[in-house]
Amino acid sequence: MIGQRPAFPGGIKLAMPPRVDADTVVRQMPFAPLLRLPLKQHAGAAPVAVVRAGDEVLRGQLLARAEADTAVPLHAPASGRVLGIGKQSDGAGGTVGVIELAPLPGDTQEPTRGRAFDPDRDDADELLAAIRETGIVGLGGQGEPTHLRLARARQRGTRFLVINGIEGEPGFARVPALLARHGADVLIGARCLGKVLGLRQPVLALEEPDAAAARAMLAESSDRTLPILEVLPPRYPQGAAELLLRTLAGRGIEGCPAFSADQAVVFSLATVAEIGRLLRHGLTMTDQLITLAGDGLREAGNYRVPLGTPVGFALAQAGALAELDRVLVGGPMRGRALGSLDRPMVKGATGFVALAGNQQARLPEAMACIRCGDCVAACPLQLHPAEMGLLARRGEVQAMVDHWHLERCFECGCCAYVCPSHIPLVQMFASAKGQWRRAQASAAEGAA
Amino acid sequence: MPSARPLRLVAAPHLHGGSAVPQWMLHTVIALLPVTLLAVVLFGLAALATIVVAVLACLLAERACAPRSRLDDGSAMLTGLLLGLSLPPALPLWMVAVGAFIAIGVGKHLFGGLGGPVFHPALVGRVFLQAAFPTAMAQAWVAPLASGRVSELPATSLALPLLSPAAPYEAMSGATPLTALKAGEGSAALADLWLGLVAGSVGETSAVLLLLGGLYLAFKRVIDWRIPTALLGTVAVLSAILHGLDAERHPGMLTALASGGLMLGAWFFATDPGLSPMTRRGAWIYGLAIGALVVLMRQFSGHAEGVVYALLLGSALTPHIDRWTRPRPLPEGVER
Ligand code: SF4
Ligand code: SF4
Repeated sequence: MIGQRPAFPGGIKLAMPPRVDADTVVRQMPFAPLLRLPLKQHAGAAPVAVVRAGDEVLRGQLLARAEADTAVPLHAPASGRVLGIGKQSDGAGGTVGVIELAPLPGDTQEPTRGRAFDPDRDDADELLAAIRETGIVGLGGQGEPTHLRLARARQRGTRFLVINGIEGEPGFARVPALLARHGADVLIGARCLGKVLGLRQPVLALEEPDAAAARAMLAESSDRTLPILEVLPPRYPQGAAELLLRTLAGRGIEGCPAFSADQAVVFSLATVAEIGRLLRHGLTMTDQLITLAGDGLREAGNYRVPLGTPVGFALAQAGALAELDRVLVGGPMRGRALGSLDRPMVKGATGFVALAGNQQARLPEAMACIRCGDCVAACPLQLHPAEMGLLARRGEVQAMVDHWHLERCFECGCCAYVCPSHIPLVQMFASAKGQWRRAQASAAEGAA
Repeated sequence: MPSARPLRLVAAPHLHGGSAVPQWMLHTVIALLPVTLLAVVLFGLAALATIVVAVLACLLAERACAPRSRLDDGSAMLTGLLLGLSLPPALPLWMVAVGAFIAIGVGKHLFGGLGGPVFHPALVGRVFLQAAFPTAMAQAWVAPLASGRVSELPATSLALPLLSPAAPYEAMSGATPLTALKAGEGSAALADLWLGLVAGSVGETSAVLLLLGGLYLAFKRVIDWRIPTALLGTVAVLSAILHGLDAERHPGMLTALASGGLMLGAWFFATDPGLSPMTRRGAWIYGLAIGALVVLMRQFSGHAEGVVYALLLGSALTPHIDRWTRPRPLPEGVER
């Protein structure tokens, strides 16, 4: 099916480094001397702490209970002592509680195990509750609690369970590692999700470079309901869930012609693998597989990193150079630059990029927009980055929203990537969106 | 903990595809080199002087109009080169300089500088010269491969400002292939026309070299191939039809394609990113419209070099085409 027209226009071809054997390696990150665990690590409500300063906890033990429907519990990533519950800015003017945990040195760090689950034996409701109890949230970057997405999809009724195995960011290599090391977890995770949704056969979507690894994974299994493989030609940002659904819905899935995108639900490969791993061993979420990438690291690669590990500690373990130019949460296309390396890794992180200053050529200064239209051709949502850029320079945020749908821009970066005038379009859109949201909020306050 | 110095807070994306305006300008200049060299071979010093004066005057004008603008973005140089290439070779050099100042001062900076122009600055310069010095613009041609062309400049080139040329324009006057055809003198041999061995503007002569240059730009993705394709396609089809209807009055398709600056206009002027529509659909409409205008201007307006006016009208259409072909945002509301 290669070469078919995609269901969304635009997008770009990124130069992705070729897959190498080292991509399948996953190293275990040691425990940092202090783990910092914000209570709110995901979309929705924060769980409520059940430990106090001085408590000794075991790895995998409950630290904070999910009371609201939109919360997931938080578990201890290491056996250790709770030093206290501090406060930290939530980035939106408020504060959130942060549990500070000092891992015990010399402990074997054997995780506590609860009941193991089996998709063939346990029923859908039990599995849904069990998924929530693991504390897992979407590991594809959005950080939405998985049980919420599942519950919504179940209510809506879906025909397709799509496992998103598209890497997305150049230099990240979680997909090959998951396929090579966590094949059984992926298949069991997929069966758990399928059972909750009442669907038998999932769809595994990935891009060509990872197709061979996926076939090898499927060939090893004697599972009766192996996922249908959908291999897409590489294109950024087709891993964005909405765009992936459009693409699959538009071209149809093997054995099923085109369908409506609403009839499917997407979970990232990392989420599915983690659900499988946790449920079948009766574990809770204490760490996650991320990529540490960039030319500022001597030991770049995949790592299994305990929750709450400070970014700086993780980078140091990966051989960070003394002089770094910038550190990104997420990949080079969409990653946000970090000001402080003390920030802990939270649930849902996909990886960090450390860029060395000496090699990172700065972009030339922005020139005037020459109205070439390349950004328009690249925008996967078919917004009009050029017009929005001109309005942004004049500060006309409302017009950007009214005429050009600024609020829908998901900051994929395609427009800025192609702009020959090096205009920081995404940056302008992000700050315009911030302005617009604040204006909305104060208007709402004024009305109330 | 790593990093001794503060981390830079740069916004995403942290990658760039590598395309850059100065590079585009450079590629365009490269694409124009063969035809520029041919012009110097054919028309000698006159052509060389015209191009050099046009480029230098444009750079000077750019400095004068925008003292802090960057000359190294290549845009003023390219404007000068395109202007030089579209003028008759023996035009008095002071007129060339005036044209260059009009191109940059009026055509570019009156419209807000880079990215602002509504009409192609080089065309603005050329049209101004056409209006101000109609005789010189109609007669300052040089026969190709004339003897003595490399050793001396035509007397007209060195004419002083505002005096009538010291010597009358040479006998070549008015005899570019299209004007000749209009006057009913038959057509230049087709091969000469494609190869460029005819009288014409400095760089408008060799359709083959212009075509190769254009293909290079399309291959490098500097220009949108849809524009010349639609433009030349329309000219080809329409002129074939007209030729079929009345072979006496209308040149054949190949003649129409190769003559009168059409290739230069289609590949190098019409494709200016700022003057052409932003969407792909728009590019097709735009090319088609200019192609039709070229044929119309050439056949019915009595103006042999209709390309210039067709291009000007085409760029005037661009904002409207952009409005008609606005991208429609992808429909909302796919639940993940
Ligand atoms: S960042 Fe926004 S405007 Fe730019 S291409 Fe992506 S969605 Fe379109
Ligand atoms: S890509 Fe850059 S220069 Fe081209 S139209 Fe868009 S904003 Fe303007």
